[in-house]
Amino acid sequence: MKKQKHLIKMVCLILLVVSLGGCWDKKEIERNAYVVAIGLDKGKEASLKITYLISNPEYGSIQQGGSTNEPPVEIISFETDDLVSPLYKANAVIAKEISYNLMKNIIVSEKLAMEKEFIRWMYDTTKEKDIRRDTYLIFTKEDASKFILENQPKLETRANKYFEFIIRRGIATANIPDSTLHRYLRITEADADLFLGIYATTEHEDTDQSNKGDEIFAGQLDTTGKTNKTQFLGSTVFKEGMMIGKLTAEDTRISLLLSVAEKSPPMLISFPDPNKKEYRIAAKITQLKSPKVDLKMNNGISKVDVFLPIHMDILTDHAMENYAKDTQKREELKKYIENRFEKKMMKFVTRTQEEFKADPFGWSLIARKKFASLPEYKRFGWMQAYPQMDVNISVNITFGDFGRQSRLPKLEKVRD
Amino acid sequence: MEDSKGKIGIKEFIAIIILTIGTKLTDDTTVILYKQMENAAWMSPFVICAFSILPIFLLIKVMNIYENKNLADVINQLFGRFFGFFTVMILWFLLFSALTIDSAVYTDIISTMYFEKTPVIMIYGLLMLVSAFGAKKGIEHIGSVAWSVIFWIKLSLLAALILTFMQGEILFLFPIFGNGAWEVVKESSLRTSLNAEFLYLGLIFPYLKNKKDYKKGTWIALAIITTELSFSLAAFIMLFDHKGIQLMDFPFHETIRYIEIGFLENIETFFFPFWLIASFIRFAFYLYLTAILFGSLFSIRNFEHLLPIIATLVVFLGIIPENPTFTIFKLRESLLFITTPIFIILPFLLWAAAKLKGEFKNEKAKASD
Repeated sequence: MKKQKHLIKMVCLILLVVSLGGCWDKKEIERNAYVVAIGLDKGKEASLKITYLISNPEYGSIQQGGSTNEPPVEIISFETDDLVSPLYKANAVIAKEISYNLMKNIIVSEKLAMEKEFIRWMYDTTKEKDIRRDTYLIFTKEDASKFILENQPKLETRANKYFEFIIRRGIATANIPDSTLHRYLRITEADADLFLGIYATTEHEDTDQSNKGDEIFAGQLDTTGKTNKTQFLGSTVFKEGMMIGKLTAEDTRISLLLSVAEKSPPMLISFPDPNKKEYRIAAKITQLKSPKVDLKMNNGISKVDVFLPIHMDILTDHAMENYAKDTQKREELKKYIENRFEKKMMKFVTRTQEEFKADPFGWSLIARKKFASLPEYKRFGWMQAYPQMDVNISVNITFGDFGRQSRLPKLEKVRD
Repeated sequence: MEDSKGKIGIKEFIAIIILTIGTKLTDDTTVILYKQMENAAWMSPFVICAFSILPIFLLIKVMNIYENKNLADVINQLFGRFFGFFTVMILWFLLFSALTIDSAVYTDIISTMYFEKTPVIMIYGLLMLVSAFGAKKGIEHIGSVAWSVIFWIKLSLLAALILTFMQGEILFLFPIFGNGAWEVVKESSLRTSLNAEFLYLGLIFPYLKNKKDYKKGTWIALAIITTELSFSLAAFIMLFDHKGIQLMDFPFHETIRYIEIGFLENIETFFFPFWLIASFIRFAFYLYLTAILFGSLFSIRNFEHLLPIIATLVVFLGIIPENPTFTIFKLRESLLFITTPIFIILPFLLWAAAKLKGEFKNEKAKASD
């Protein structure tokens, strides 16, 4: 009995908790205009041009009983000086209270991101209560206002869902890096590594794609049919809060593979067959654990040794070489791939050392381990030391399976 | 049952201590630690714990001589009327300042992180109203409420910490000694008053059912608080790194805003109510202690009646500072520095006075009778 009484009291107590929400700060869905994404461009008169992508909550919801004739989104652009004051200014046009509550994407044009002043606007986001640190940062080739206007997803017409899906999927397939406000601020504040942002565009660019594989940016993937023009591919490079370059899809993947701060997702890649160069082998690579990075410091030049274990599933065999059956061939293939990976990675590392003069792999975290205290670490100066470092990468591949059906017929026998 | 009325057992005692001191990890106390020790701040609770062991040990020794006297009575007995009055006065003043400053910080947290439009005076008023109501009910009620909710509050904290550890990066804890090992020891020792509430626990000594619980409960609570604080400090660094965390005003609240459970995002509203209840209990207990001290200063027997006045005074003092986040941060830091020597020296003085007066012998004689 006593126990029961106690239980009832507890339940009442927990129910009472709900009332702690209060109603002074209540917000009604009907009376709010929910901004799903904001676009930032360089302004002509004021310092910024802001674009709001406002979602229509009535659109596409089944519970409402039938759809409305209203469009799914409303888009408005105007000039402003910061991210907070437009909340009221926009009400000259928008009838409802503007809310950042569901804002999950900040879209910035390349041009603005390359400005020295860019970081100033970014810190506005830490001031406003409703902007969250897990907001995605997307950088576009064209103006953000144009990007938002041109982006017309065909099936995921609700803007909030579209951005959520395409970015999550892009990260899961390693087409784009995981680029949130939190990472931008953290990496910029640590002042040691490079931050990678999501690169996207609606503008198509004609390039010669033969033999390029994954060495392309957003807008360079040729597509036909009836679909959205927008592409999310590749990444933008930020040093000290300012954009300094771009990476292709392949380089983005390499940075993810070599990164110590996070595990990279499984990737689908392709490379030429070592025996018959005209055919390409498709493969799925999985990172078993984060790369082992070892830093050796001598006075003068430091040395970085990276050991990267990769699990690889071979998915196609156009050369009909039957790698699964032959140990000898498998070993050769392994050597070839390891070599190719090491070479590609080394090339990229050298590029970061020479072009960016900093690393996007988070290796400074390894360096931190080598010091007992922060002042010593600061004296070492990771960012200044990195370009001179002697980097050595070794890849170790273990094969998984060779497709669902691993054996292939002998081509000569099929065609006799 | 009659003689246990208005008294608390060891469970309630520990629950009160944990909620009063443990809740500090959710406010800007953590930033005070990060500011000097950066990513080694997680070590400081252990150093602070080590520095508080001796004062707490001496205090327990002294308190145990007397059966039914609280700290204020003991001070008066040992230091004499004149010095006793001043010591208790200082203690009261420190506690009252801590109450005002802390409640102002909590109001600031609520109004900047959760309820932006609600007027500050309403939040502050409600916070103190609920706490004063709780305090008025007496120590027994504070204790039983603390005990009945502590499990849920700590469960929610544990959930938040586990999620943070999962999403955090262990490498951010390096370089292991932050600004240097010596710096950690030095800066932590200056902030030992983080545990100063243990001194004030002597005030509720007469309300314990079993006097042995005082000793046992204090040590258990100290161990729990130290571990909890250290783990939380480490968790916040693992999420934000040592630079970002120093820029933040309230790391705990930024953390619960950032973490997510799988597909569930924006889960801070799940943690918020638990934190609120913990804060209510914390301030109810503070108010109660302030009232006891004030009562014994001016020999007011029914000190409970002072509570509404004290609570009102706190609200009006607390809303004075302009730009609370920074002003109060400064005030709180100075208060920590001022309290530290008192927290360390006072128990020693008490013990020395008791030794000189031969109080320990008296007790032994009493025991052998």
